[in-house]
Amino acid sequence: MRLEIECIDIDDLQPGPKTRAEEHVLYVDLKELEELILRDSRLATVDIRLVYPEDKVRIVNLMDVVQPRCKVDKVDADFPGFVGKMQIAGSGRTRSLRGVGVLVADPQTTRKYSAFLDMSGQGAEMSVYGCLRHVVLAPTRAEGTEERDFEDAVKIAGLKTAVYLARGAEGHPVDHTEVFDLDIPSQRAKSDLPRVAYYYQLYSPQHDHKGISDACYYGTDVRHFTPTILHPNEVLDGGVVGAHTIRSLDTYTVQNHALIRELYKRNGKDLIFAGVVAGVVALDPAAKARQSTMAASLVKNVLGADGVILSKVHGGMPHVDLGLIADECEKLGVKTAVFAHPLVSAGTLTDGLLFNSEALNLIVMMGGVLERAKIPLDAERFLGGTADTHIYCPDPIIQRAGDPMVDFEEFLLAGVHDHLGGSRIIVKDY
Amino acid sequence: MVSMDEREGQLKVVHYLNQFFGQLGGEDTADVGFVVKDGPVGPGRALQKALGDEAEIVATVICGDNYFAKEPEGAAQEGVALVAGYDAGLFFAGPAFQAGRYGVACGAMCKAVGEALHIPVITGMFEENPGVEMYRRNAFICKTGESARGMTDAVNCMVKLGIRLMTPPAQAELVSRENIPSPEEYGYFPRLINRNVYTDKTVAERSVDKLLAKLRGEPFDTEVQLPTFERIAIPPAIKDVSKAEIAFVSDGGLVPAGNPDGLSGRGNLRWATYEIDTFLPEKIDSSVYEVVHTGYFPVEVIANPNRLVPVDAMRDLVKSGQAGRLHRTFFSTSGNATVARRCAEMGVEMGAEMKKRGVEAAILTST
Repeated sequence: MRLEIECIDIDDLQPGPKTRAEEHVLYVDLKELEELILRDSRLATVDIRLVYPEDKVRIVNLMDVVQPRCKVDKVDADFPGFVGKMQIAGSGRTRSLRGVGVLVADPQTTRKYSAFLDMSGQGAEMSVYGCLRHVVLAPTRAEGTEERDFEDAVKIAGLKTAVYLARGAEGHPVDHTEVFDLDIPSQRAKSDLPRVAYYYQLYSPQHDHKGISDACYYGTDVRHFTPTILHPNEVLDGGVVGAHTIRSLDTYTVQNHALIRELYKRNGKDLIFAGVVAGVVALDPAAKARQSTMAASLVKNVLGADGVILSKVHGGMPHVDLGLIADECEKLGVKTAVFAHPLVSAGTLTDGLLFNSEALNLIVMMGGVLERAKIPLDAERFLGGTADTHIYCPDPIIQRAGDPMVDFEEFLLAGVHDHLGGSRIIVKDY
Repeated sequence: MVSMDEREGQLKVVHYLNQFFGQLGGEDTADVGFVVKDGPVGPGRALQKALGDEAEIVATVICGDNYFAKEPEGAAQEGVALVAGYDAGLFFAGPAFQAGRYGVACGAMCKAVGEALHIPVITGMFEENPGVEMYRRNAFICKTGESARGMTDAVNCMVKLGIRLMTPPAQAELVSRENIPSPEEYGYFPRLINRNVYTDKTVAERSVDKLLAKLRGEPFDTEVQLPTFERIAIPPAIKDVSKAEIAFVSDGGLVPAGNPDGLSGRGNLRWATYEIDTFLPEKIDSSVYEVVHTGYFPVEVIANPNRLVPVDAMRDLVKSGQAGRLHRTFFSTSGNATVARRCAEMGVEMGAEMKKRGVEAAILTST
């Protein structure tokens, strides 16, 4: 499977009478975009704003961040199952705009943990999104629409906007083309290089809002998923998106999956990229056993891997499940590297490990996503909500977006941590 | 924190020593109480030399090891009162090397001074000194050799750390932007906290590098060590349950409405006790309790808290004479991603409280 991502660098973003890209400037016809978004009858209105680095703006109730992307050589193939019709993502040509993002906010959310982003001050410096230009969407719910239906609509509005913007850049010269070419069947030929697979934990139903899982895979949810083999290009090209809430994992992070990109970079030089096994967190012991034995068997007996790197989603149960799967892999003779992070900033890192198996002797620490940080208010305007919008604080207090200082856990600031291996952060004993 | 540039005049330092290093005498003078001397004494001279013009040791507080060990907390308060008068910006104690009583005294002094005067507190100990585990949370404890032969290195380590704490670098290496020196770089025992640090390599790059090393049979560093757990022997059974007073403990996060003790939904470090008669009366009143634990679906517990804490079943057993008494309070905590170390501590704390109250057995229920 061969995927070419044609990158165009966007240096400025401006409203304009027609959506187009010229000389690295993206002009957006806001009226046309609004009409496109409001074709979804679940949405009553949508507030669309452009924000820039150094703007004194805080975007709250943030649900997703998306990189503008569209398929160049295929019809109806963008984010299949969400925007385009069902087909396998990951082959052909895709246009990607760099330096610009779509920020999707749900001003009516009732979720406890909603992310935020600052475009100036310390919050912007901490986030990889603070230095991008963004189109911000804040839709409102049409009468008679259920909350969870509305959330799906908001999510899809973000994906549609990403496609719309990328399509608008048609004709602009491409700055750089990235090629992701991996023919897994032919990789089976003998090589001295070790075969390395990736176990991708896609989702955990423990955070389900109102007991309903978020769709994140070809338009569907994955609550009852059994481990499945994916081509890595499917992940990079819209087959997988973020869940409906940012927990160090949004669509932009998936589109730029750091570990998959790293495995591609080393493929043929240091290792053979054997493929991806995707699975989910299981809620009961029988399901955990199914997930872990099946995933390990696919890694060993189907992909034929010598080694596997395992990544997790937010939470403690994902941590436990990842350990179980890694343990099963080691039992089958597959060497593992396991992503982990502590769930509390107290105690030693060892105290915070939720698994204990001698076989798991290579644990790679991400940042502690629940670490507390404090940032002084720099924003003068609020999008996606108001100065009164709550920002979750684990202390028993009500904290608002307009407070002079917000004290929060870092996973709530979009673009600080990255569960897929992209952040340059490690947590250490202090 | 006050940086030296902003201060008028030199940074003042107070130093704590035991009778031996404080030059009052050997073990025969270990019972002597607090003595204060002007300026540096003994190892304080080496500290002063290493500090150079950066700071001045204005006083040395000295106390006998036995005197201190008799009642460490009281002694520490006595010591703090002596330190308080000097307007110090930094406090040193020891180094104590492997000396156990001295290490505990240095740790206790650091803890008390840090809490009362809000200034950086630094001591030095050998890794096996009991003071390390007791006070690593409360003080910067530099790693030293076993004996005073390692004095020069210990003093240099303490001074380097002290200067770093008083002059934080402009560019913070921590994501949280706190001013905490790196334990590796500054040679002290980590204080049982963890922090996010910026690195050159991404998690993805590190994981591939390390896995390849593991596959090639080359050395590789895991980024966290696996825990080792002690085996705990099963205690003897209660001789007669029909006479025993039995308490309930649960980590299910069941608390009175309004969560008066501020237990956290995850990463909780607290526990509390609640009167069973008002909290879980025979006739359930759902307005008096709530569940703060955020790691399970508490629907069943909210509908009937007896399903978390089976008080109803216990009342029946007491009535029928099969169990002695139900202890009047319920021991509650919220166990969701709480570090194992703190869980063990809470167990010890709860056990001590139960023992004090004459509870003979406990039933622990989880979610």
